[in-house]
Amino acid sequence: MKNLLKISLLLMLVAGGILAGCGSKDDGGKTADGKTKITFWDENAGPQRTPIWEKLIADFEEANPDIDVDYVGLPKDSSKSKLDTAIAADDMPDVGSVQTSWLPEFSIREALLPLDDYLADSELNDLINEGAVTFNKDVVRDGKLYGIPYTQNLDVIWIRSDWFKEAGLEAPDTWDEFFTAVNEMTADGRYGYTIRGGAGGSFQLQRLMFAYSGLENYFDDNGKSTINDPKHVEFLEKYFDLYKKNTPKSDITNDYKEMIAGFDTGVVAMVHHNIGSYGEHSKAFEPDQFEAIPLPKTEDGRYVAEGGNTINMSIFKSTKNPDEAWKFVEFINSAESQSYWNEQVGQIPTNADVLDMDWIKDSAHIKTAFEVYDNPQTVLYKPPFYLPDYRSILDNTVDAGTQKVMSGESTVQEFLDEWAKAVEDSEAKYNDAMK
Amino acid sequence: MVNSRSRTNKILFFYLPLTLMFTWTIFPIYWTINTAFKHEGDIVKRPLEYFPTAPTVENFVVAWNNVGFATFFKNSLIVGISTVLVVIVLSTLSGYALSRYKFKGKRSFLLMLLATQFIPRAMLIIPLFIIFKSMGLISNPLSLIITYTAVEIPFTTILMSGFIGNIPRDLEEAAAVDGASKLQSLRLVMLPLLLPGIVATAVFTFIYTWNEFLLALMLTNQQSKFTLPVGLSFMMGEFNVNYGALAAGSVIALIPAVILFAYAQKHLVNGLGGAVKG
Amino acid sequence: MSSKQLSGDVKVKRKFKIDNWIPYLFILPSFLIIATFLFYPIGTVFYYSFQHYDISAPFYNKFAGFENFVKIFTADKLFFPSLMTSLKWVVSQVGLQLIFGLLFAVMLNQTFKLRGFVRAIAFIPWAISGVLASVMWSLMYNEHMGVFNDILMKLGIISEPQAFLASTSSAFIAVVIAELWRGIPFFAITLLASLQSIPEELYEASDIDGANKWESFIHITLPHLKNTIVLTTLLRTVWEFNNVDLIFNLTGGGPANSTTTLTMYIANLAVNGSDFGYGSALTVISFLLLFVFAMVYLKITRYERED
Repeated sequence: MKNLLKISLLLMLVAGGILAGCGSKDDGGKTADGKTKITFWDENAGPQRTPIWEKLIADFEEANPDIDVDYVGLPKDSSKSKLDTAIAADDMPDVGSVQTSWLPEFSIREALLPLDDYLADSELNDLINEGAVTFNKDVVRDGKLYGIPYTQNLDVIWIRSDWFKEAGLEAPDTWDEFFTAVNEMTADGRYGYTIRGGAGGSFQLQRLMFAYSGLENYFDDNGKSTINDPKHVEFLEKYFDLYKKNTPKSDITNDYKEMIAGFDTGVVAMVHHNIGSYGEHSKAFEPDQFEAIPLPKTEDGRYVAEGGNTINMSIFKSTKNPDEAWKFVEFINSAESQSYWNEQVGQIPTNADVLDMDWIKDSAHIKTAFEVYDNPQTVLYKPPFYLPDYRSILDNTVDAGTQKVMSGESTVQEFLDEWAKAVEDSEAKYNDAMK
Repeated sequence: MVNSRSRTNKILFFYLPLTLMFTWTIFPIYWTINTAFKHEGDIVKRPLEYFPTAPTVENFVVAWNNVGFATFFKNSLIVGISTVLVVIVLSTLSGYALSRYKFKGKRSFLLMLLATQFIPRAMLIIPLFIIFKSMGLISNPLSLIITYTAVEIPFTTILMSGFIGNIPRDLEEAAAVDGASKLQSLRLVMLPLLLPGIVATAVFTFIYTWNEFLLALMLTNQQSKFTLPVGLSFMMGEFNVNYGALAAGSVIALIPAVILFAYAQKHLVNGLGGAVKG
Repeated sequence: MSSKQLSGDVKVKRKFKIDNWIPYLFILPSFLIIATFLFYPIGTVFYYSFQHYDISAPFYNKFAGFENFVKIFTADKLFFPSLMTSLKWVVSQVGLQLIFGLLFAVMLNQTFKLRGFVRAIAFIPWAISGVLASVMWSLMYNEHMGVFNDILMKLGIISEPQAFLASTSSAFIAVVIAELWRGIPFFAITLLASLQSIPEELYEASDIDGANKWESFIHITLPHLKNTIVLTTLLRTVWEFNNVDLIFNLTGGGPANSTTTLTMYIANLAVNGSDFGYGSALTVISFLLLFVFAMVYLKITRYERED
């Protein structure tokens, strides 16, 4: 027995020693060889984007031999909760790729560094898309700039142009044409369309609703939500009527992967996503087989898109090396880096110097996006990103509600009323707390 | 068994169900392997290919080179093996105490072990993160080893205590009477007897650590310290659909577990048998 | 001294003071680790259940008293349905895993060629993570490229591809089947272990008494397996109650919440980072439910009879 005792005591001592010895010391953001170390968190890591970042970081480190960038890739589905935990525990990275919809919340939690002064003193000033920068300031409570947008996205409808040609159909421009096209394309074991009924579907649904109704505000002056506006009811009744008639049955629980697989395997003629899935489709098809078209125009011929569809480089407040962090932010937003990143991913750069480059001019889906963004009549509506439970309402209430409508358990009106009430309650609670 | 009345009966009531069971178990695994060896285009081609007509290892190359899969694999091994070692020692000690002694608080300790299983892990992340941050152990494999140990000990302690309880005390005593020193009796008598229980504990623990995703992601802030399940999740996000590479990654992740099972299968049955003998 | 102490004779042991401390010393490391890294965090969950705590909106944080609990029982439309789904989930999982696990164990206990190989294969699903298993099954369930649709259509059972995970009636069953695949081996392995410890003489004796196979199964095998069954079903109930991997990845709780168990509901709240206090309150309720269940279950099955 004594020996067992000794062994266990010894083990505990050893374990204690390891615990004590392994604790990482606060190194003030320096590496062993005296370089400044900054940590960068990528919010959508994976085989597609991680190599792009690695290449850019290698270039940056070559240009700045005294700075060491530590890349941390986060899987997209978990990146928000990972950042939430990091902020709650005050253990943040130096720099992060941050979605615009997170800015209000992160700024109110005082997690981010305002970048107004940095940008004003930088060569980048006036080069970065003004609309996107202004949006970032408008969306946060104190009107400061908490992230430099390095890429812009836009929701589009991907269509099988070869099938449209075969059928002698034009790509739809209005919603009526859209519904007609969906119907026409449903034939020979093909579906005209596919609905994202599962995770992430609510965010896309909302964009379709506003594109149809042309409404520009999420709340009216009395704090009532426009979500259950009769126009939205009308649209969703038509839209969900497509389910099973013109779409695969599995749509109800479709998330991104199943939805895109439906299109890329040649089962579905049209799918609503954004220009970012270009890479995925181009692996499956020849260039003349598919194209991106804007979401159809409203009755009075306008495009309505959601504002803030950008991703930003942000600096976290706890950084010990804000100047080096800014250098990295600046580098990523340089014409060269932005061009590389966006060309690889297939999205829109925000740096004006990139816009004349050849790949932009040759890229059809980016031209489509500019058609929308550059159209003077285009309206960008502003979702209430500032509501702390905005995302959880969409993820929990709206996704489940969508499925209830699709499975026939509730009506569109009931669904939209419930959604409207959830955002109204949230808005009231927020205003109350902010008084 | 012995008194099978006829061949037909044996086929109908034994080999048929056995074949069904075997097929049911192996089919999903086979299908994943099948998918892993197909070219991307062939995966979705119809008619479906039940056997890859043009097999390729390209998916395995993609998966292995993806975002440092090799590093993740190594990290998983380190965390898994270390946790197994710690858990074996701790659960043997506490299992011994529970099965060989009566002491005050024994029931409460058992209850405490059971109660640890009542909470979804997702709820424990923030407090755990804060604890490990104060210890300076974020991104350190030790934080995972410690947490996994805490999570696994309750079950393995119960397992070991059942197992030790079924080893006759006489054997231990006999060794002592024979004049063997305590250490000798431990090494020569107890250890061989304990081996199946230890193997069961080890397999159980390893499988858990090998597959755990949430804690592994949340307690690590460094790319080079992520484990395999985190690496797999990179292949499932938005803009990153590649069924072939995902299947190949899954197959790679499966290999150690399968080897472990093939190797430990016999001990495992004996170990659990010793623990649950009625 | 060691022989006396090992004899477990309590009265003799009392004389040696150190001996009284040995069991405590042995459980001490385990106790410390569990207390620090599980009980302390669990304690914070209890604490937060009485708070409004929203990590993404610190300005909402304040003491809540019993407000979270009152909301659960009066205003939460998802609580009772998800609890019922949990019940359905646990009963079908544990029940079917037990039945099939027993069947597998009995088969694997026979002598046949390649038994070692078949056994090793039979246990593999147990080693597969929930995430991996859901990748495999979603691939097979897929409406467009899934192999199940292909097989069923070839057999003429269905005439067009089905979306197994898409209807409120079939999604639950589809997830149950996938989880069964992963869960049966655990029962099979523990029950097989237990079966092997039944002395062959017992069967021989009952054979002589003229009992048939079924009778000896009922009178010898089952009673012998009782303790194993009690322990494994208890552990499994708790694990399955808290297990969301497959549900999360296959259906995300849908369609229309038809696969949202209580734990799935809590996980959604925890992951989407909204009201952590409310999630904690739900966790406390589920903790208490499991606690009461475990106590009652151990009592009525008289598992913990002292030796």
